[in-house]
Parts: sequence; C-alpha cells; structure tokens
Amino acid sequence: MREAVIAGVGFAKFGRYDGQKGRPYKEIYELGAEAITKALKYADMEWKNIQVAYGASMFGGLGVPNQCTSRLGMPGIPITTLEGACSSSQQALRQAYQDVANGLYDVALAFGTEKIPPGLIADTLSPVWMLMMGFNLPGMYGFETRRYMQESGATEEDMARVAVMERKNAIMNPNAFWYQGPEITVEEVLNSREIATPIRFLTACANADGASAAIVCSKDKLKSKARKVKIAASAHATATFGYDNFGNLIHEKVNPTCTELACKQVWERSGYGPEDMDVIQLYEAMAPSFLWDAEQCGFCKPGEAGKLVREGYFEIGGKKPANTDGGLLGRGHPTGATGLAQIIELFLQLRGEAGSRQVPGAKIGFCHCSGGGPNGVCHVLKR
Amino acid sequence: MTTNTKKQVPCKDGLWSKPSSPDEKPQLIGSQCPNCGEIFFPVNPVCINCQSQTMNDIRLSRRGKVWTYSTIMLRPPQWYKGPVPFDLGYVELPEGAMIWTRLLGAEPGTFKIGQEVELDIDVMQVDAEGREILGFCFVPVRK
Repeated sequence: MREAVIAGVGFAKFGRYDGQKGRPYKEIYELGAEAITKALKYADMEWKNIQVAYGASMFGGLGVPNQCTSRLGMPGIPITTLEGACSSSQQALRQAYQDVANGLYDVALAFGTEKIPPGLIADTLSPVWMLMMGFNLPGMYGFETRRYMQESGATEEDMARVAVMERKNAIMNPNAFWYQGPEITVEEVLNSREIATPIRFLTACANADGASAAIVCSKDKLKSKARKVKIAASAHATATFGYDNFGNLIHEKVNPTCTELACKQVWERSGYGPEDMDVIQLYEAMAPSFLWDAEQCGFCKPGEAGKLVREGYFEIGGKKPANTDGGLLGRGHPTGATGLAQIIELFLQLRGEAGSRQVPGAKIGFCHCSGGGPNGVCHVLKR
Repeated sequence: MTTNTKKQVPCKDGLWSKPSSPDEKPQLIGSQCPNCGEIFFPVNPVCINCQSQTMNDIRLSRRGKVWTYSTIMLRPPQWYKGPVPFDLGYVELPEGAMIWTRLLGAEPGTFKIGQEVELDIDVMQVDAEGREILGFCFVPVRK
C-alpha cells in the first residue's frame, strides 16, 4: 500500500434548493457538479486529471453521479454509483482511497449529492408488516435513547447540550445549514416539540440538500506538497438490524456494533488511539447518538459522555473538540453528502483553514460515520 | 382477540399461532437453534449466531417485560393507519428473545422499563378489499 492524500475538497452549501420562500432551485446534479468543480479548483486540477470516480446518493435514483460529472467533461472513466445510507459518501471516499493506496489509479474522485423531501423520510429498510405496525426511524432512535439513558444515567439535558454546542459551531461554518443562525439554549431544546420520545425537534438533525466532494491522489500528483493531509487509515464494518422485527439490533452476542468494529480496525491500522486525536467527528443524526458514539469510539468510558459534555470537553477550546463544523444537527443532513462533509471539516482543520472554528495546531483527526443497515465507516487523517 | 364476521388476515403469515380451541391463546412463533440454543423472531431458516442450517419452530412466551419504548408523536409515512401518538418498544421474553412491538392498552407515554406486558392481537386497519388486517401488540398485564 502506498500513501494516499487528499488533494482538494468542495461543497455545495448545505441548505434548501427547492425554489420556495425565496430560496434558489437547483437540481441534484447541479449541486454535485458544483462541489466537484470546487474540489478540482482547490486541488488545482482539471476534470481530465480524474481517472476514476465514486458518486454517492441515497435518494437520487438512477445514474445521478453520471449526470453530475457529465456536465463537467466527457467521462470515459469508470463512475460508480454508491448507496450506503447515511455514510454513502464516506464509503465513496474509502473506495477512492483503496484505488489510490493499492496503486490502481493515481487520482480518484469521491462525492456525494442529495436533495431530500421535507418531513419523515420514507423507510425502505423495513418489511411492510412492520411499517403497518408503525415502525419508523426516529422511533428507533427513541428506543435506543431510552435504553441508553437507563443504562448510563445520561439525561435529556445532556443531549440538549450537544444540540446547543453543535448549532453554536455551525453558526461559524459558511457551508452549514445553520450558518449565521441564532444561538439556541438548553431550555429551548428541552421545550421543542417531541418527535419520538425522548427525541425532540431540536435534538434531531435537519433534512437538508447539498453536495460534497474530495479528490484523493498519490503524493506525486499533488500540485503543492505544503500542508499535505494523508489518509492514515480507513475502515468499514457492518452489523445487522436483524431480519424482520429487528430483534437482533439489540442482540449483542450475535451483533457487535459496527461502530466498535470499525473503530477497532481504524485504530489498529493507523497505529494511533483516541488519546492522540486533536479534532474529531462523531455521527449523530440525533443528539443522543453523539454520546454513545463518543463511548463506542473509545473517547471515554461507557456512561461517561454526558458528564464530559456538561464539562465542555467536546467544545472548540475543550480537550477533544468534536463536530467543529456543527455536526449533523448544525451542518444539516443531506444524507448521501454527509459522510464526506465530515471528512472535509477534518481536512480543513488539519490544514489550518477552518476560520473562526479552527482548533489551534490540529495535526491529526478522527472521523466516525454510520448509516442504516447498519454500517460504520471510520477514517484517521493526518497532516 | 377480536371476533366478528368480517374476513380477517394477519399482516404477515406465520408471525403467531392460530388457536385451535377457545381456551388456547395465540403465541408468537420464533426459531430456536438446536446447536447453540439462540432464539430468533420471526421464524428464520438459518441461525444468525452459529450459521446452523437447521432451526426448530418455538412458541414464545405470551408475557415479557418492556425493555425500552418510545412514544411516537409524528404519523409514520404511508403504511400506518392507527392513532397518533402511540407507543412502540422492545419486549424481552423470559426465554431471551427480544420482540419489537406496539405497546397498547394504556395511555401513550405511560409505559415503564421493566413493566410486565402480554401479547394481544388487534385489528390494525381495513384493506381495499374490506378485509381486516391483524397485527400483534403487547398490553399491560391486568392484575
């Protein structure tokens, strides 16, 4: 395996592109093309430099990645569509990384693009009889959260603090849905309407549209070697919700969590541990999952995350700054574009380009993403 | 158990047993692995734990304890036709199986972890042909 580095990144700002209430209308392909164009510009590359591409989308439908790249130049190259639920685009990054690290290609593109209808998203994971009985994804988070609270002693207030912290970070992130939005208080979060108890409107992520892109290449293809960021390790693991009835989801013997599996691999492969990380990304479609992810990824002991949140441990300026870009709650969650957005934030932090949310001197970072299935994808990036 | 003259069909065949006499009550049907002993619901031809290819049907306990729950405040899209809010949760059975289920028979939001509940079958909705679609749920044990 040879070293694979990230040459450039690009965003189509996360927000709404539905043409309503004065907002612009953009097609999902236009968003993808915008992010790719910016990534090429950042890397000082042209479309013709790209040798292989992995495009992710969860709701896009047929051939969306090809439609994104078709407006940038004649393709010719292999373009693979990748759907891996909410970690789709981080899986795309992993494919690009594998191609470069294994020497198949020298320059690979990964991107994710998404437009999501508002409201609860349609569930294609579950059998119809469960949907008739009312199965829904926020409810699933509700179950996990209730049980987590029972076992850890974490409170609704701890989750509210995660939501407050992430919105505060997002206000400083020009690519976030919540950019320049209002600060919110713990009280406001705890008074927001319930979705699936104990999950509330403000402890849930916001559906958003947007796109993200990154170019991975071998060291010799970099236009500038200054502030090089390499992919130090990559891992991907799956678990199961179980077949019908999802009883295996909580059956630990037959189903170790995919987060724990992927983390174990990424720490082993990188030679680093949680204690070495300067800045981290944890996947939290709902605020409570920030808490159990921090524990499962090894940043604290089981049951300890709520207390650390209360102490400001994960804030910018704290001991282990997390989700400095606002996370899913503040950045917004255009599902297929989220996994790469997390990587982009780490990249910018390690390059010292994160503006007012910069973690001073950050040299090494960790990213955890997960998606329905479930799957867990983790990366370690190093300057 | 509801009884009337309308045609009734389960939301999926094979989830629970059909009583053969008035004294018998329906039970959920799972699979038990003869090799490692693990129990799964619903029936599955393969053991997810040890990959044994032979599984035995097992009638599961009608009573269990609430392991976790959530009160659903937003109407789930498309298929669900029941009232909102309502409770969903997992019930842990004495033999170790974990059952995802609706929790009915009490005010939404009043279930407690560890509460004893028992299986019931109810009419969930009526389909385009006028048939009543049955589902399973767990309700508080009346003492």
